[in-house]
Amino acid sequence: MLGVVGLSLWLGSEVSAGASRPSAAAPAIPSRPEQLQFLPLEFQVPERAKFRYELPGGVIVYVVPDRALPLVKIQAVFRTGAFRERPGEEGTARLVARLMRNGGAGALDPKAFDEEVDFLAARMSVFDSDTAVIASLDTLTAVLPQAMDLFVAMLREPRFDEERLVQEKRILLEELRQRGDDAEEIAQREFRRLLYGEDSYLTRELTASDLERIDRQRLVDFHRRTFGRSGTILAVSGDVEPKEVLETLKRKLDGFEALEAPPWPPVGSEQRPRPAVYYLEKDIPQGKALLGHLGVQWQDFGDPEIYALMIMNDILGGGGFTSRLMRRIRSDEGLAYRVVSMMAIQPFWRGMFLVIFDSKSATVARATQIVLEEIGRLQREVPSQEEVALVQQALIDSFPRRFDSPAQMARLFAEDERIGRPLDFWNRYRERIRAVTPEAVREVAKKYLDPDQLVWLFVGRFSDIAAGDGRVNLDQIRGSQPIVPLPPRDPLTLRPK
Amino acid sequence: MTAKKDSLRTRVKSWCVCLVAALFLASYGWASERPARLPVEEFALPNGMKFLMLQRPELSTVSAGWVAKVGSANERPGLTGIAHFFEHMMFKGTKTLGTRDPVRDAQIIEEQEALQEKIRAEYAGQRERYRLGEIGDPFDPADRPPALIELEARFVKLVEEQRQLMVKDEFDRIYRMAGATGLNATTNQDSTIYFVTVPANKLELWFWMESERLRDPVFREFYSERDVVQEERRLRIESTPTGRYEEQLNALFWTSHPYKWDTIGWMSDLKTLTLAEARAFFETYYAPGNLTAALVGNFDPKRVRELAERYFGRLPASQRPVPDVVTLEEQQLAEKRMHAVCDCPSQLRVLYHAVPFRHRDRYVFDVIAALLSGSTGRLRQRIVLEQKLGVGAAAAQDAQRWAGSFSVYAEAQEGIPLESLEAAVLGELERLKTEPVSERELQKVKNQLVAASLRNLENPFFLNFQLLIYEGMGSWRHLEEWPERTLAVTADDIQRVAARYFIPENRTVARYERRQGGVNAAQGSVQ
Repeated sequence: MLGVVGLSLWLGSEVSAGASRPSAAAPAIPSRPEQLQFLPLEFQVPERAKFRYELPGGVIVYVVPDRALPLVKIQAVFRTGAFRERPGEEGTARLVARLMRNGGAGALDPKAFDEEVDFLAARMSVFDSDTAVIASLDTLTAVLPQAMDLFVAMLREPRFDEERLVQEKRILLEELRQRGDDAEEIAQREFRRLLYGEDSYLTRELTASDLERIDRQRLVDFHRRTFGRSGTILAVSGDVEPKEVLETLKRKLDGFEALEAPPWPPVGSEQRPRPAVYYLEKDIPQGKALLGHLGVQWQDFGDPEIYALMIMNDILGGGGFTSRLMRRIRSDEGLAYRVVSMMAIQPFWRGMFLVIFDSKSATVARATQIVLEEIGRLQREVPSQEEVALVQQALIDSFPRRFDSPAQMARLFAEDERIGRPLDFWNRYRERIRAVTPEAVREVAKKYLDPDQLVWLFVGRFSDIAAGDGRVNLDQIRGSQPIVPLPPRDPLTLRPK
Repeated sequence: MTAKKDSLRTRVKSWCVCLVAALFLASYGWASERPARLPVEEFALPNGMKFLMLQRPELSTVSAGWVAKVGSANERPGLTGIAHFFEHMMFKGTKTLGTRDPVRDAQIIEEQEALQEKIRAEYAGQRERYRLGEIGDPFDPADRPPALIELEARFVKLVEEQRQLMVKDEFDRIYRMAGATGLNATTNQDSTIYFVTVPANKLELWFWMESERLRDPVFREFYSERDVVQEERRLRIESTPTGRYEEQLNALFWTSHPYKWDTIGWMSDLKTLTLAEARAFFETYYAPGNLTAALVGNFDPKRVRELAERYFGRLPASQRPVPDVVTLEEQQLAEKRMHAVCDCPSQLRVLYHAVPFRHRDRYVFDVIAALLSGSTGRLRQRIVLEQKLGVGAAAAQDAQRWAGSFSVYAEAQEGIPLESLEAAVLGELERLKTEPVSERELQKVKNQLVAASLRNLENPFFLNFQLLIYEGMGSWRHLEEWPERTLAVTADDIQRVAARYFIPENRTVARYERRQGGVNAAQGSVQ
């Protein structure tokens, strides 16, 4: 691991070179932590190219060995998911993912397959998202060959057992039925729909009629059409020897072809959100508040504006206790436990800018007022050198930690590959963070934040939220934004009741 | 469909005897020459503070933390929530950190306290009005008498003055600026754990900061933080579909034991916690003899010892012993039941009183939980897949410091009465008493448990956390004892434990039924 990471670190006297250490007495404890002196941590960014291998058929594999424990992890990232569903196929990717894991594979029926996996103490899962399906294996080295066999069978020869399909549908139906219970889940769902629309694969969720429509043949067809080697990325880490594991993978994936090449890159929704104050009634003592609008798409990974945006967001509400929203809303006024801002920079479509907090109904308006004030401030005033330097230093000094875990590193490289980050991205990351100036932070705040475009969503007891706490109410801060009630959705159909 | 015998199965079978032995040996194979122990070095300072060190030289960081062996079980009615609330206060700074003017800051805090005394007297009056039925909620701001409003306004002015002097959240800032990540803490019923990951070259910063906040904490912003904790309670318990029911179920389950209340505390207690109580709490429970620190990562152990002596050696040993939790859970005499109608999925919970942390039976309970849970566990196989009575089910043990519980959870299938689900779950528990578990099934479960114990060693932060949480419960050695003791569990043990503990008098059952026609419910049923 030492060689891999290229870390050199001197441990020893904490006093800087040049000062001499008293021979008998211990050095005095400085009165402030800034007076502590540290030796520099020389960190060399691991070269992504050194871990990258290409297998026949278009498979890219990252292998990060780690012999500390007798465990091996393999993650296979397929360029499929909801974005490959054709009209009328909605929900298929979800069912395919579920049944790949639960529907048996190769010669083994579902029960036999599950028993084998559990007996080997292996962990296997398949997880679907809008633009990826990720299959994972976590196994002990002692049974790696057997676990690999099962894993590859799951990928290449899922049985989509008819009986198990019926079971999974029944179980999924119950999951659908619960979609109106949790305020947090409701809030996140509604907000995404407000931003990206109802019809995009980014927001569309499984309905009861989707479930009814999906049969085994659908699953088989979708799997055949979209699962194969071309465009697939593997992340392998743990107790493996690269040559050996690559040879095995090459052999086992030989001939694994999808009928269709993945259309890449995926395209997002064209929807333009309509700014307003939306609310959904729910009888809970706390109001959930989400405020945001569309953000930025990451097209040029060296674009200095992106790094300025990261720092801007950290200052606003992404940096935990050092961020402005946390300080004012939680720390100063005790209005919330959670308050955070996100500026998601998506590679294939414009990401979300979002501020989210939860406060008792009466104080939601006051906390919202503070959010608007701080967005305005970021746009008007150049942040202080100190504030920017704090974030830069935090990001730069915590940077090595990203590469501490071989498993994490392998997955990181796989994601880099998937979204098209250049090979030198991490090498240049720190210098790009360092290059951001306070003026640049204000510039991107002015350019990319727009209070008039904000979509507001409240979930809770709306009349209490609107009434405020006597200091400020909703009418006083919403300007010309209309108030739009959202009807609750039937959890099975997701259609308004 | 029956499974066909194939070569894969045969190969697996031939492994089954060797697997567990191999796993066990491999599990501590940092190097094959090492004995089967976790390479944790221990030492203690003269003031009683204990240190654990586990080196991981390949890392660029050190995950470091310490545990105070105090949790909500050490509380009493009127003071519930103070252990967790206190955890929040430990981030508010010290005389040096967090204020530009420590003298004036301290004066303002005393002035605030004087006002709060008067405010508390007013709230006592509000509670009396509430008891008489004059008002619906003693804390409703709309019902405040003028005297109270005036006092609270004066208090706000003092807060504003103090804020001018404050260096906000300086503790967090210093850590962040040094590249530290994951600064946080957590409180449970048994312990309070503070942790952070620092770059390896900043090790001394951890010693400086942690010893400083133990030596010289200042509990500023006490009252705004009290509001934050109330919001946390609203978020975690009061605004989730089942949070409040879970809280009441827990209170039903425990008769006499302080595990009865949730760590976050009852709202009425949260609203009345005082600074004096927080200070007393600190004096009693945060003495160095009641603390253990742990470090996992890239460091020189000699240096850690030297820094520990220099920094934490300054903490004076306490003269008073730390109070034990003496209340035992009264033996339950009759089955307890709860029936809730909620905007939540229909579900069942069955709980039994079990055993504490390192009791000899806890390993048997872990094996029982594993037999019942998971993809091929009995609950899912029989109740979900075969009988179709539910859509999910699992079992778990919670063997805590002072006492323990074992619980089964099952989520209902719409249209199936909860009686049937309950009968099926209890049926599975009965089976454990009467049918010895087969060798293969027991082997499977043991494979999984040992593999899990290996996986628990991977992540250095999590490893550090486990050392601390187990210290808080009794001993970090649980981490290395557990696989061996679990492997020793026999089919007889399982029957014995099931027969002893899974009896009606020891049981609490909760049924949550989804409210029909609720605003969140589906319209009509679908089949």
